[in-house]
Amino acid sequence: MSEPIISLDHVSYAYEENGKEAVQDVSLAIPRGAFHAILGQNGSGKSTLAKLINGLYAPTGGKITVCGMDTQDEKNTWEIRRRAGMVFQNPDNQLVATIVREDVAFGLENIGVPTEEMPARIEQALRDVGMTEYADRAPHLLSGGQKQRVAIAGVLAMQPEAIIFDESTAMLDPKGRQEVFSAVQRLNREQGITVLWITHFMEEAAACQVAHIMHEGKLVSSGDPREIFKDTAALAPYHLDAPPMAKLAQELREAGMPLADGILTAEEMAQEVAKLCR
Amino acid sequence: MQITLENVSHTYQPGSPFQSTAIRDVNLTIEQGEFLALIGHTGSGKSTLAQHINGLLKPTAGRVLIDGKDIHDKSFDKKEVRRRVGLVFQYPEHQLFEESVEKDIAFGPKNLGLSAEEIKIRVQEALEKVNLTQDGIKEKSPFELSGGQMRRVAIAGVLAMRPEILVLDEPAAGLDPKSREDMLQLIANLHRNGTTVVMVSHAMDDVARFATRAVVMEKGTVAMTGTPEEIFRHGPQLERMGLGVPAVCKMGMLLREKGIAFPENIFRQEQAAGALLALWKEGTHHAE
Amino acid sequence: MLNNITLGQYYPADSIVHKLDPRVKILLLVALIVGIFLGQNLLSYVPVALFLFLAARLSKVPFSMLLKGLKPLRFILVFTFVLNIFFLQGETPLLNLGFAVIKTESVITAIHYCLRLVLLVLASSLLTLTTAPVTLTDGLERLLSPLRVIHFPAHEMAMMMTIALRFIPTLLEEADKIMKAQTARGADFESGNLLNRAKAMVPLLVPLFVGAFRRAGDLAMAMEARCYHGGEGRTRLRVLKCQKNDYLSCLIMALVILLIILCGKVY
Repeated sequence: MSEPIISLDHVSYAYEENGKEAVQDVSLAIPRGAFHAILGQNGSGKSTLAKLINGLYAPTGGKITVCGMDTQDEKNTWEIRRRAGMVFQNPDNQLVATIVREDVAFGLENIGVPTEEMPARIEQALRDVGMTEYADRAPHLLSGGQKQRVAIAGVLAMQPEAIIFDESTAMLDPKGRQEVFSAVQRLNREQGITVLWITHFMEEAAACQVAHIMHEGKLVSSGDPREIFKDTAALAPYHLDAPPMAKLAQELREAGMPLADGILTAEEMAQEVAKLCR
Repeated sequence: MQITLENVSHTYQPGSPFQSTAIRDVNLTIEQGEFLALIGHTGSGKSTLAQHINGLLKPTAGRVLIDGKDIHDKSFDKKEVRRRVGLVFQYPEHQLFEESVEKDIAFGPKNLGLSAEEIKIRVQEALEKVNLTQDGIKEKSPFELSGGQMRRVAIAGVLAMRPEILVLDEPAAGLDPKSREDMLQLIANLHRNGTTVVMVSHAMDDVARFATRAVVMEKGTVAMTGTPEEIFRHGPQLERMGLGVPAVCKMGMLLREKGIAFPENIFRQEQAAGALLALWKEGTHHAE
Repeated sequence: MLNNITLGQYYPADSIVHKLDPRVKILLLVALIVGIFLGQNLLSYVPVALFLFLAARLSKVPFSMLLKGLKPLRFILVFTFVLNIFFLQGETPLLNLGFAVIKTESVITAIHYCLRLVLLVLASSLLTLTTAPVTLTDGLERLLSPLRVIHFPAHEMAMMMTIALRFIPTLLEEADKIMKAQTARGADFESGNLLNRAKAMVPLLVPLFVGAFRRAGDLAMAMEARCYHGGEGRTRLRVLKCQKNDYLSCLIMALVILLIILCGKVY
């Protein structure tokens, strides 16, 4: 394996205003092309972590390397942000321009992409998130899910290697959430873009390769989400709620039903139950 | 008290190029003491419908009646409607404005023209209802609180008017799992203590857990209405509308497709384990 | 409650005037304003009016839309006219009202001033009716960019205008929601005297400002994450290029100015 695209080495961060340590001694590595989730309740430090990786905050302890560059070195800032883009939570507050196409162009204009190259990159990015037909619309007339996909296109046009999603589905309805999440899954699968998916939705974390759990600024658990969610009781102290099917599976196992491990979705549950009831 | 919507339609900006009909010919009666869920995805008209219940929006056709009287009749006091029907908008914490929690909650009662002592009692009562009882919280600025706390202050601001019906537009939107569960328990508690609750939601698992009745909206009309049991029997139809179904309901649908007789009327988490165990035991029994 | 407000007065249409380079349109407006003030007599407004008439015809903007821009001006026009009639000096009496004598010269001057005002408003309305706000901002930025040498923040100003245009609909929507939410708590925005009404705005304005600041913080963060670092080294998606029609319109404008000056010499 090549070296990880994002790596955190004993990273800490304390807010200047109150000295409160939002992130304490976190170490983790995300391999190129991976799809990782960071889970945690509000105030667990997961959003701070995202801003640290993007160079929006500088760590007060430890070292963060993104695409081989140290985030603390100011001359790397713009290159890091281009290669590891970021999509935020509120769909209304991250689009800048009054027309979708021009918003996607915003990042390209900032990094000085020649004018002739822009239209093709914009078209491609909009196609990748399925928003081609909305290119000439005004952002405020789009649905939440559509706005978030435009925000993704804006990052995508800059041809990043990784994208960090900071609770990008938290304010969407189930339909919008599905739209955005499957668009991101496709980008990861088809274009090999590394994804760091920060969320408090267990169902989404369950669909990732690795889940990291943050609690009170510390990284308390990392691993295959199926392993982590298996023990529903262990999640309780982190105020996380295991997916309903994981809880049901646990209940059934305790009652003696020999269900296989790692059930997270209704599909998996139906399949396992069908095996046992035939 | 009973609220009836009679053939209610609402068209935004009628006659302009931006004209759009949000709800069409809706008939609905909200009975005292029920927990009614309004389901539908964004743009189905459920928020528009919610704003008709307390007279904020006036139907462009049809009538809204409280105990048989038209609330848009000249003789009907608008303030009376607002007092009896509390409306909590989506992200209600965005409407906080006072310098202290106490003053913000007092805004509603003050508008009702209540006495200072009465307002004090109301504020205290509302704070207790939303479980904000820490010392000194009343004097705090609402902007210093956490997101979940701010939302509870905003809801207390409506509760302080002692509404008989509480209409909430996606009260748990954007909250993390813990605050979300707290919020839902709080609403369930209010319902238990006699408040009629109307909750706009698209979280089907929440509807399955709490609602006594549900109305499914699609494209501005009422597509389905009934108890959760009746609604969730139509799982495939709900999915066609782009709405989810509770996880247990989904599992049941999949099992039935595989020829396993998981009962159609089970959609709650706590009923599921028993039903599955029964099926399993039956299965192993046959095998022996 | 607030959804009747439409932003700006852009009238989308496919016309030669709409397609002109925004920089040229702005410069034409400036030239026309200068032209209007160069006018020495009533005759010199004829070329201006003709030019405007021609431009309006070509732009496919209905005249009624154009004239709507004058509506808020009607009191000012009447006021200017009356004031000038009574207070300007003149020699030839036209009408004796008893308490004052109206002079021919002052009537002519009053008409003069009112015409100027009407033409000014019509000309600028035509610009905003045929140019989308974003395009206008773009044009302004390019026109002002040479002033960067004297540290005039042309790019920053244009960026601020773009962001304002982007967020006005969002903030209007939010204002509408907050207003409804406070109304649901018994607030009354519509009755009472001026003082009470002003006081009633507090529960609307405070959350609106808090919200706007929150959005501004978010937006600044998002812009930085997308590598925004000011106007330096920035390229543009849209490049403005002058075309045949742009040069042609400049020529026509030169002609109009010439005519105005000539009209002044006729007397």
